[in-house]
Amino acid sequence: MDEALIDVHHLMTRIGDRVIHQDVSFSVQRGHIAALIGGSGTGKSVLLKVLIGLLRPSSGQALLFNTDIWHASRDELNVLRTRFGMLFQDGALFSSLTVVQNVATPLLEHTPLSRKSCLQLAQLKLAMVGLPPDAAHKMPDELSGGMRKRVALARALALDPELLFLDEPTSGLDPVSARAFDHLLRTLCDSLGLTVLLITHDLDTLLSITDRIIVLAQGQVLGNGTLAEIRQLDDPWLQAYFMSRSTDNIGAIPSLSPSD
Amino acid sequence: MNISPTLHIDSNADESRIVAAGDWRLVNFHVAAKSVLPALPNIVELDGSAVSSLDPSGAYCLLQQLVAQGAVSNSIQFIGFQPSQQAILGLVQQHVTTVLQSDTPKRHWVSTIGLIAHRWVEQIGNTLNLIGRLGTECADLIVSPRNFRHKEFTTQLGAIFVDAIVLVMVVLFLLGVVFAYLLGRQALQYGANLYVVDGTSLSICRELSPVLVAILIAGRSGSAITAQLGTMKFDEEIDAIRVLGLSPYQVLIIPRMLAIVIAMPLLVFLGDLTGLGGSMLVAGQQLNITPVEFINRLVSALDTSTVVIGLSKAPVFAIFIGLIACQAGLQVKRDARSIGLSTTTTVVNSTVAVIVLNALIAVTLVKLGI
Repeated sequence: MDEALIDVHHLMTRIGDRVIHQDVSFSVQRGHIAALIGGSGTGKSVLLKVLIGLLRPSSGQALLFNTDIWHASRDELNVLRTRFGMLFQDGALFSSLTVVQNVATPLLEHTPLSRKSCLQLAQLKLAMVGLPPDAAHKMPDELSGGMRKRVALARALALDPELLFLDEPTSGLDPVSARAFDHLLRTLCDSLGLTVLLITHDLDTLLSITDRIIVLAQGQVLGNGTLAEIRQLDDPWLQAYFMSRSTDNIGAIPSLSPSD
Repeated sequence: MNISPTLHIDSNADESRIVAAGDWRLVNFHVAAKSVLPALPNIVELDGSAVSSLDPSGAYCLLQQLVAQGAVSNSIQFIGFQPSQQAILGLVQQHVTTVLQSDTPKRHWVSTIGLIAHRWVEQIGNTLNLIGRLGTECADLIVSPRNFRHKEFTTQLGAIFVDAIVLVMVVLFLLGVVFAYLLGRQALQYGANLYVVDGTSLSICRELSPVLVAILIAGRSGSAITAQLGTMKFDEEIDAIRVLGLSPYQVLIIPRMLAIVIAMPLLVFLGDLTGLGGSMLVAGQQLNITPVEFINRLVSALDTSTVVIGLSKAPVFAIFIGLIACQAGLQVKRDARSIGLSTTTTVVNSTVAVIVLNALIAVTLVKLGI
């Protein structure tokens, strides 16, 4: 199945006078985990907002499932929205609802199911992201950062989407939780056959779970390929980025080497 | 395209073999959940060769029905599924039992009452704690007055007093106008025109101005104080102040408390003046009482003690509003919703407090014969 779920053609985005993307084109195939990387201010989050339909591009096309989200009708858009899930950087959990209600919200809004079924399916998603059953009836502010991310992931998965957008899934997590979250993502994607586009600054995430890497710089796609291909690129920021991995530099010092 | 999901026992084999067919997906969940199966043995085989598509919700629906009829979830054998479907089933299979056992905890009404009572006691404790802390911090300030935050105090005084002047004056002026007009209509019937001056001046100076200004300030400045302190708590600014070795009470709370206690009598006084001004205007128009007559009557009708009572109620209200607002601000937890809740609490509680206090003071004064 070499079908492109995300297809971006010559995208140009402006916010006020600032040009964020000059000419961005790339595509993500079904079943791939693609990472979007780039320095701060290169418009990674903005690109994600364009893709999920929160920000209108000045020109160019952004296709999800071969539908142009900025020219889709209201009904088409609603169908589209049930086919992708989004994990926001800080979880964006609804603070007035319990964990299980948070996860059940998309189901209650988009399906004709009874409240009981929705809550059961929400419990299933919570179990799938590895949360203990007693976490379900807590409020979001009672959770740790790692648990919040898991709840947010469960909510993104609530409608069984085929495509998942993740904005810095491991930011703010300690290394152990971050690796556990990476592992969870990889396992879920493999068993559910998900396609993922994620933004990350976390080199470990990049090295361990991604199939393809898309590098944004100066409003354009600097590189799009596997990790090995991206490492070959001659770009000072990229070189510095890959050099920043602690194990490569300080691995020689035993006291500082990580326990993996 | 979309084939309705079905589930039945394979008639060609023994009764432990179940055949699933169709699209087992979330969109079909409400249809899929209705298929009826007889009681099943513990160990069953699930034949999925006719399943055209499957997602986790569908897989859950499938397994849950088998489990509900007596199959043991971990010993269900899957045959004929595609590898990708097998993976989904495997993932969901681990969790079916947990999900089926989970239920929403229901709270007994006795424990609800207990919880509310506990919250009340906690609230009282917190308030007493705040009063105690403020007491010691004030004592500390008296010993070393250099620690007093002049700049914060003047900023707060500006926000609570100066910025509220126009609002208070407009509200009380209009109140004076309306009150004098309604009273005037009654008084005209008895030819008791001049008594309008007695009625309006007494009620405005003693009751209306203090209570109304207090309610305005509770809504305007009380909520602002709670929101400010709450945001600071939320962003850990208050912790940062503590880490710098400063006291958040001295830096944030005492300047606000002092500002509100000073601002309130001043605002009440301005309210008295504009309220009487409004009455005087109406008295002139409606009842032909000239301003000179109005003021002459005012001198004899309005005791200094009435004005003093009205003015001295103001700082009492101010202390309560300040305490409630600061307390609510410091109670904010680390989520955005709690700022909104605390702000509402401040406005409601301080408005109620003002009205109750006012009633208590009125009864006490009557008993004392003042």
